Amino acid sequence: MTDSRKDVQTTLFGKTITRRRLVQTAAVAGAAASTAFHAPAVLGQEKAKVTFWTTHTDVGFDSLKTITDMFNAQSQDATVEIVQRPAADVEDSSGLITAVRGGSGPDVYLLDRFIVAERAGQGLLQDISSLASDNGLDPSLDGVYIAFASAEAHFNDGLFALPFDTDLRALYYNKKLLTDAGIDLEAWDPKNGVLTWDAVKEAAAKLDVKDGDSFSTVGFVPYYNQGWHYTYGFSWGGEFFDYDKCEVTPDNPKVLEAMQWVYDYTKGEGADAMYAFIQGAMRPGAPPNESPWNQNRLAINLTGDWEIANIPKYNPDLDYGITYLPVPTDGMDSTTWAGGWSMVIPQGAKEPEAAFKFMQYACGADGQRQYTKDTSHIPTLLEVQKDKTLYDERHLFFIDELLATAKNRPPLPVGAKYWAEMTSAWEKIYLNLADPATAMGEAKKNTQADLDSGGFCPIAKPAS
Amino acid sequence: MNTLPPLTTPAEPTAPATAARRRPWSLTRNERKNLGLGLLFISPWLVGFFAFLLYPIYYTVRLSFTRYGGFGEPVWIGLDNYKRFWTDGLFHTSLWNTLYYTGLAVPIGVVVAMVLALAMNQPLPEIPIYRTILYLPSVLPLFAISFIFWALLDPNKGVVNEFLRLLGFSPPNWFGEVAYAKIALVGLAQFGAGQAALIFLAGLKGIPQHLYEASMIDGAGAWSRFRNITVPLMTPVILYDLILGLSLGLQVFTQSYIITRGGPANSTTFIVYYLYNNAFKFGGQMGYASAIAVFLFVLTFLIAIVVFQTSSRWVNYDLT
Repeated sequence: MTDSRKDVQTTLFGKTITRRRLVQTAAVAGAAASTAFHAPAVLGQEKAKVTFWTTHTDVGFDSLKTITDMFNAQSQDATVEIVQRPAADVEDSSGLITAVRGGSGPDVYLLDRFIVAERAGQGLLQDISSLASDNGLDPSLDGVYIAFASAEAHFNDGLFALPFDTDLRALYYNKKLLTDAGIDLEAWDPKNGVLTWDAVKEAAAKLDVKDGDSFSTVGFVPYYNQGWHYTYGFSWGGEFFDYDKCEVTPDNPKVLEAMQWVYDYTKGEGADAMYAFIQGAMRPGAPPNESPWNQNRLAINLTGDWEIANIPKYNPDLDYGITYLPVPTDGMDSTTWAGGWSMVIPQGAKEPEAAFKFMQYACGADGQRQYTKDTSHIPTLLEVQKDKTLYDERHLFFIDELLATAKNRPPLPVGAKYWAEMTSAWEKIYLNLADPATAMGEAKKNTQADLDSGGFCPIAKPAS
Repeated sequence: MNTLPPLTTPAEPTAPATAARRRPWSLTRNERKNLGLGLLFISPWLVGFFAFLLYPIYYTVRLSFTRYGGFGEPVWIGLDNYKRFWTDGLFHTSLWNTLYYTGLAVPIGVVVAMVLALAMNQPLPEIPIYRTILYLPSVLPLFAISFIFWALLDPNKGVVNEFLRLLGFSPPNWFGEVAYAKIALVGLAQFGAGQAALIFLAGLKGIPQHLYEASMIDGAGAWSRFRNITVPLMTPVILYDLILGLSLGLQVFTQSYIITRGGPANSTTFIVYYLYNNAFKFGGQMGYASAIAVFLFVLTFLIAIVVFQTSSRWVNYDLT
């Protein structure tokens, strides 16, 4: 060894070391480093990492984030990471399908419950019946979740989702605008019964304000927000599926009557002018502050229970009331409809067991209680639904008065197709581009073709 | 008399003679080495071509004969997906919408690109600034342009309708009326004309100046020079733009997806948008979506052939 190298060694180690000593030191250091690097990995393996995707935004996403944090704080088995995916139409599963095919899908996905059967039918979702049994949950969900939500979570006798929330539609009205137009609010108080659709039409006509050919304020837009084909069809007493014939029935006479009312309504108002007024707010992804309802330019709004949580944020000074969905003729019972979301495990999930534990928590008492408080939606878990301390007076109206009158969309393996076809027909009807029978006839033909070619019939009628 | 030796062509070198006798694919060691090296150098492209173009096309064609939801085993159903074209009303609507859009957007696009290129070609000292301004919309993503266009054409507060009202017109609801929605999207497509304009500009630069000078001496005016010199000599560029435009026009999707969601009343449901809905919204329709994709591929191919076949009548390659 040269003098200079000796000097360096002495400087570094304090004394001269042999080659053997150097190798031994390196080996020990290497082993120690290896242990150090492996230690966190071993510790990390104790908790499974679960990825949870949702397209929810705003209040809904914030609440889901809170639920995820609550789960992580108490879970010994898993850590959940919530990922906000770009919002799209609820029936658009392109992001999920491509990710799962590419092997990078999530462990848990929040899916609109009415298309669970369709996604299960195409093989995208895992049957979670055995996971439910292993974790002490009866896969039938009988007596645990509200019946229609449970029905929507099943497909071909398998359990493919856990129900999360549900929601109900009602008629909201801006008290100041109605009062200013000289409308007596007494009739709008739900204590005084149910309005007729014609009474709403009559009031709305007094609320319209025009600036030249275009509207600056509109009384009521029947197809805005939750004004859907299903809303009016159910209200008129129509049915959308015939289980005996395994046939979609958008041409049911009652449904067509309802569609005709909407057709006549927009024709009377001027279909193009009304659409020009509302079109911007109907754009997918339009911010809530662009809604004429939040700008006090729309007096009557057909929307859901979640509006109670949104109003303080987007129109805090609004003085509003909520009443039943109107009826076509006096004396009929008011009918609303319920939707809602669910949690599913897609194919290819890396941590299905841990994912199910998270689902069970989020769709269980703690998760549903938190979501109800944050978003003013309605729990599907019967045990939580009974807890009246979760609701304020307005919210209680939905639970006490509307829930029992709620119908739901038929859970079909062509649910998304049916929705899209009817929505296309619906658009033609309210824009006065086609008469209801023609438009709905086309929707029926196209949807039935998929139902027949898919070999899905017969379809068992879900327990109500 | 001495006989002259017979006239012969100089003896050919032996190597080419051997090469001529060789089979076309029998290469020498050096040639094989060069071929190997060449393939190695283009291998990234080859891998991309086979893995991301050829194989997906093959897979799509195969799926088009099946019923398939994207998962599990596809079920062979023969030509059923193709037979469905005859009875599917929305397929007919989407095909008509696509042809209508392409038929308008592509020729208008050629005219707009030509006008922009002529503007960019002016001999002005500040022309780089104008070129940048004219090209700028082309570098914006299509979804951003879609939002801008939505705001411009808003029926109530949009600048375009406000301007038309000032002029005393009663403007339409561009994206809200069946009669105008496609036309509005054709207008939006012109925001991307800057790309084509650059190619047109390169074409204009390639036209010899002496042709213009000679015609001016002969007394030709600006219009005459444009019609008789510029347009004929730009036809190869126009052909290129036409083929590219047709291909892109037939694949129109983003604008419809972002602004109109196929509406109103399916008036902007284009064929790719319909394909997308079948693939990703409706369960079990990936096979039908594949059949639509194959149909679009064949349609584009046929239209391109027709354009090429007719191009010999109007494309002038004399100076290129």
